[in-house]
Formats: sequence, structure tokens, C-alpha cells
Amino acid sequence: MTEFEPDILTFCCNWCSYAGADLAGVSRLQYPTNSRIIRVMCSSRIEPIHILEAFKEGTDGILVTGCHIGDCHYIEGNVHTDERMKEMVDALEHLGLGQRLHLEWVSAAEGKKFQETITDFVEKIRALGPNPLKHKGVEE
Amino acid sequence: MTITSSNIQLCYQCGKCTAICPVRRVIKTSPRNTIYLNNVYRTTSDDIWNCLTCGLCYDGCPQGVDYPEFIKEVRDSNENGDIAHKGVFTLISDLMADLDESKTSLEEVGNNDSKIGYYPGCLDFHDMFFELDVDFKSIADSSVKLLKSIDQDPKLIQMKCCGHDQLWQGDKGTFEKLKEQNTRLIKESGIEKLVTSCAECYRTLSLDYDLPIEVVHISQVLKDADLGIDSGIKVTYHDACRLGRHMGEYDAPRDTLANAGSEVVEMKHNRNDAWCCGVSSMMNCDDKSKALRKARLDEAKATNAEVLITTCPKCLAHLNCMKDEQESVEQYDYDIKDLTVFLAGQMGGK
Ligand code: SF4
Ligand code: SF4
Ligand code: SF4
Repeated sequence: MTEFEPDILTFCCNWCSYAGADLAGVSRLQYPTNSRIIRVMCSSRIEPIHILEAFKEGTDGILVTGCHIGDCHYIEGNVHTDERMKEMVDALEHLGLGQRLHLEWVSAAEGKKFQETITDFVEKIRALGPNPLKHKGVEE
Repeated sequence: MTITSSNIQLCYQCGKCTAICPVRRVIKTSPRNTIYLNNVYRTTSDDIWNCLTCGLCYDGCPQGVDYPEFIKEVRDSNENGDIAHKGVFTLISDLMADLDESKTSLEEVGNNDSKIGYYPGCLDFHDMFFELDVDFKSIADSSVKLLKSIDQDPKLIQMKCCGHDQLWQGDKGTFEKLKEQNTRLIKESGIEKLVTSCAECYRTLSLDYDLPIEVVHISQVLKDADLGIDSGIKVTYHDACRLGRHMGEYDAPRDTLANAGSEVVEMKHNRNDAWCCGVSSMMNCDDKSKALRKARLDEAKATNAEVLITTCPKCLAHLNCMKDEQESVEQYDYDIKDLTVFLAGQMGGK
């Protein structure tokens, strides 16, 4: 049996965490390649329905990143993200997927933090095993 | 596709249903015509998605045509209409059907040896995804408190979503999955009676499931109980379509309120005439159904009651939502509360 390689979805906001990911890249910081990055203008763009759909389609873990509180380009978008993701984790706990969503603030200067966050999260999900919905939710 | 399982072949096209239908007040919809298309031309139109399945037409039809039942059948496997909140509630229940670990409540309360079960339904998710100033979870807490006070200490049943919305939104496949798992969970729990505080759960578990146990709505348990409250508060009661017309229970909530010393005044449309909150099965929350909701709030205002009581958490959400939305234009000075929360609130620390 081949070893389980988690499929991770990472949301990055345009202004901080995407630039943080960029910095990690240009600084040649190595991190696992399990993650696909989706850039959104603000982390508050990510709706519950996006998270749920992604899990339904078989993603093993979702990492949401954004600017630190107080740094949001849209002043307080990330405050809403914070609130919403807490609710989301709670909802996912009811579904038995609580561990699979993580929120982290990464600024444009924190390439290192981005690298560490992804690495830790991938390892955490690897230990958890595949999303139980993996082969059920995907429609042919 | 022709639907034959419901009794719509009995229709003699008098059009009374269309005249009664609340949706007809706000858009061009015609249950009569939908039946005609089905019976004569064997087709359907998008009009099947406009129906609120409130049951008013069924109640008034001289032939006893069960139009909501027909709608339930005809919607199955059709591309569904407008679902509120981008379908997040539906998606959650869809995922629940496929996740063995999932449940609607994380709480472990109550007496484990009890033969009485209490099922809170999806209240926890209401708290997460409705941005309203309503504490839905308190419905569960109040229900447990009330049941305890009358020595019917319940055991909280950890189940999946009952599947009501799936069924009425045309996803019978998922509904069947949820039904199977829930039936197993109920049987395993060893209870003999299941109490719900939600009109939708009550209808679904009673009519759409085949359970070997008794299912009751909490108002039916409380109606003869002595809660030791004598409030004297003037209230009016909104009949949830699932509890009223679907299940025929009009008296229990009113008796419960009267026994607790409240003065129950009626809105213009009440009991089997009652208007719907407008978003049954989380569908069709738009400017048109909002007009119906506003009309309902106006009726309640005209009664001068202090509190508008509901027995369905969904009605509670939709009516409160409309009340908030109207705040800048129209003041509604009453509170909208769930029956259990209203009663438990008066019991105080007792
Ligand atoms: S009221 Fe009954 S008989 Fe008359 S048109 Fe409607 S369904 Fe047919
Ligand atoms: S069930 Fe209600 S909304 Fe649907 S057609 Fe009948 S009266 Fe109209
Ligand atoms: S009435 Fe309000 S709470 Fe109900 S579905 Fe519409 S927006 Fe949501």
C-alpha cells in the first residue's frame, strides 16, 4: 500500500499571507508539496459553504490564512474570518471533522511562519488519516 | 413523469387551492395548473419550487387533494429551486449522512436509563449559521429543564439530522440514508418515547419514518402538566405548518400556554387557517416570501400581544429575521420566542 499523502487546501489572502507564501518561495524555504493554494482577496471571502464543499469533494485538510488582526487590508475582514472559522470548527466537530480545519495569521514578512504552518498541518493531517468522505463525496 | 402515489387524480380543477394559496398573493403560482399539467400532459413546470408545502390548499380542497404530498414526490430527483443561506444547512446534513461520527449535538445530558428521549434537532447549527440575536441552544436547555420539572427526566439522543429539508428539497436518496441511520440509533438507545421541540422533526419522525416508538412534540407532553407558573402575560401563537396542518396539533401549545397562566389571543389567521412563516424547508427566502412574513408580523402586532410564541425553531428564525430587517421602518414591540424558552424563562431558578 502506498503511503497516505494528504490533500491540503490552503486559502491565502491577497495582501498578507499570499505574500508570505511568496516570500517563503523566493527565500527557498522547503515545505511539503501537499498543499494547493487558492488566493482570495480577503480571508473573510471564505464562506462556510466553500469549506464544506471542499470536504465533500475529498480534501483532507483546509488551512485558512490571513493578515494578523489589525493588519487587514479591509480593516476588519479578518475579525469576521476569526469568528466564522471558530463556528466552522465547531460545526465540523459535530461532523467529526473538527481537526481538519485550521486558521493561522501569516503576514507578508513571515515566510518562515508560512513554511512551518504548512509543514505542521500536513503532518497533523497525515497522522489523522484520510478524510472519511474521500470516496463518497466525489461525483463522477 | 406522472406522479401516481399521491391522490391528485381526484382533482376536479375548481381552483380553490390557487385562491387559498398564500404564495399566490405575492407571485403568479397555481397549484391547480400544476396538477393539470401533471394529470393531463404528464409534465411539470418550475412552479413546483414555489410551493411552501404549508398545506393550506390541502385543508381547503373539496376533494381532499394532498398537494404537498404530491410536491414532495414530484420534487424528488429534480434540480432544486432556491435554497436559503446557499444551502449550508442542507450541505451539513448531506455530509452527516456519509459521516459515521457525525451528530447534531455534542452534549451528553440527562438520565441515561430514562425511557424518554429528547432530540434537539439541528439547533446547534442554527446558532452557528443564522446571524440572529436568538439563542437557539436555549430551546434544548429549556426543553430538558421543563421535562425534568415534570419528572420526565429525558436522555438526550445523539442522532443525525432528521432529513426533513432533504426530503422536501427533492433529495430522497440522502433522506433515506439519514432515516436508516437514525432509526438504528433510536432502536439502540432503548427509549420508548421520543420528545422533540421542533415541529419539522416531529412531522418527519412521525410520518416519514416508521419508528417502533412513540414520537411527541414537547407541547403535547406539557399541556396537562402543572409547571407552577402563572404569568398573566398576553401572548399570541403562530401555528407552525408542520405541527398544525401537517400533524393536526392546534390545541396542545395553546393549552400549555393557558395552563401556565398566559392569556392567549389569536391572530386573524389562526389554527388551520394560519399563514406560513414563508421559508418552509429552507426554500424560497426572497422578497416575495418576505412579504408573507411581514404580513404575519403585522397580524401579530394587531393582537397587541407581548410575545409571539412559536413551536418551530425555523419559524422562530425566519420571523425574528424579518423583525430585525424591518427595524428601521416598522417597530414590532413584541418578542418572538419559542414555547419552551418562554415557559422555562418564567420558571426561574425553581
Ligand atoms: S382545490 Fe382541490 S379539486 Fe380544486 S383545483 Fe385545487 S386540488 Fe383540484
Ligand atoms: S401547500 Fe401552501 S404554498 Fe403550496 S400550493 Fe398549497 S397553499 Fe400554496
Ligand atoms: S428569513 Fe432570514 S433566517 Fe430565514 S432563511 Fe431567510 S434570511 Fe435566513
